[in-house]
Amino acid sequence: MKTYFKIIIVLLLTALGCTKDVPVDEDGLLVTSRAECYVSNFELLGVDFQTVRTKNAVIDTVACTINVVVFYGTDLKNLYPQFTLVTDAKLDPKITGKVDFSDLANPRSYTVISGNRKVRKTYKILITVQS
Amino acid sequence: MRNKYFCYTLLLLFVIGCKDDKYTVPVPKDALQNDCIKRTLGPNLAGSNIEFAYAMALPASKGKIVSAQVEASIAGAAATYLENKSYYTNGSGVDVGVPIGDPSVNEAAFTRVTFTKDTNAVTLRYYYSIPQEARGKSVKFTFSVKSSNGESVSYAMGPYVISKMDMVLDLPVKNADSCFISIADMAVYNAADAAAKADKIDLVYLYRSIPNISFGHALVSPGADPVYLPDVVLPPNANRVTKVSKVWNLRDFNLARLQYGIYIDDLDFQQLDISNAPGYAVNFKAEAGAWVETTDGKYRAYIYINKADNAKKSAVISMKRYTLK
Repeated sequence: MKTYFKIIIVLLLTALGCTKDVPVDEDGLLVTSRAECYVSNFELLGVDFQTVRTKNAVIDTVACTINVVVFYGTDLKNLYPQFTLVTDAKLDPKITGKVDFSDLANPRSYTVISGNRKVRKTYKILITVQS
Repeated sequence: MRNKYFCYTLLLLFVIGCKDDKYTVPVPKDALQNDCIKRTLGPNLAGSNIEFAYAMALPASKGKIVSAQVEASIAGAAATYLENKSYYTNGSGVDVGVPIGDPSVNEAAFTRVTFTKDTNAVTLRYYYSIPQEARGKSVKFTFSVKSSNGESVSYAMGPYVISKMDMVLDLPVKNADSCFISIADMAVYNAADAAAKADKIDLVYLYRSIPNISFGHALVSPGADPVYLPDVVLPPNANRVTKVSKVWNLRDFNLARLQYGIYIDDLDFQQLDISNAPGYAVNFKAEAGAWVETTDGKYRAYIYINKADNAKKSAVISMKRYTLK
């Protein structure tokens, strides 16, 4: 009987020893110490999940702009943007499906939030249609 | 002491648990038996076949097979038949047929083969040619076989839902020639014919090679922005705005007839939402496709590009169409 008690206590201590208070944000994502905050790559897919870019997007991490030239005839109302961010960063608003980029006069903006959730940078997506 | 017994019991359980049952050769049933599988995959389209393989056997001591028949809940089209040959694959990989009876006879919903050879075991193929009247309905099959000793067994298959879709294959389209596509007619017209059917023209096929622009092969509705119809002369009153949504990697097996086991079914059309799609799509390549919805909301279709020839400014398209209203 004594042995069983000993085993249970050891197990309990091990379990307690493993729990750690880790900082997570409202999305349940880990908050880290990283302060870097930028977009490293940008992709734009059409409804057929093929790229609509004619060449690589030009990302200006100082001016916080992303310039993309898309094929002639691209359906700008139904596009899937894809961002690659620096480690631990996240995007706001989240991309949940197709996005309407047809209002070229009012470019869409996305905010990158750093891993420590203290730095925020808003990027503008500037689209030019091939002509 | 208690622990010791516990250990022995555990060890014993392990030994018993690991023991294999001795294999025994299965004893065949001493009676007429049958079995059936459906060989075709994908949606059951009116005008095409549903293929089954029906196997039947009885011990030689019991007699021989006299006849086999299939009853369909909806009589098949005239092309329906039950194979009267049993096939084996020879050394060269060729299927060789051995006749076992007379060619099948269709009587209303029944398809029957009467055996003329002394046969104890055979697998016969059954090809049900789906009639137009079965569209949107379910069909069931009862396969049965009779032996010389009076025994009879049957096997039920189905129900199988017959698709509401229509399909047309390999329509050649050519820039500034046969370029007016009608979803309603599932046909392609030239300018002269299209003039008489302007209200049925849903799309225009065109090919343009414009410097610095990726235009290529395009499907544009007559009512779309004219910038996507450069130098196209439309039939008078052709103004339908058909929604077009480009698709890649959807090489439907029925349309493409390639190695990809992908099938577009009624459900895909029912759940399709392209309400936000534009009236045009440009820069098509071979093996691409497009979901299409007509301006009156009557039809949804999938147009597949089988071939695209830049030099000849032409393409070959195939289409599956679903009627909504």
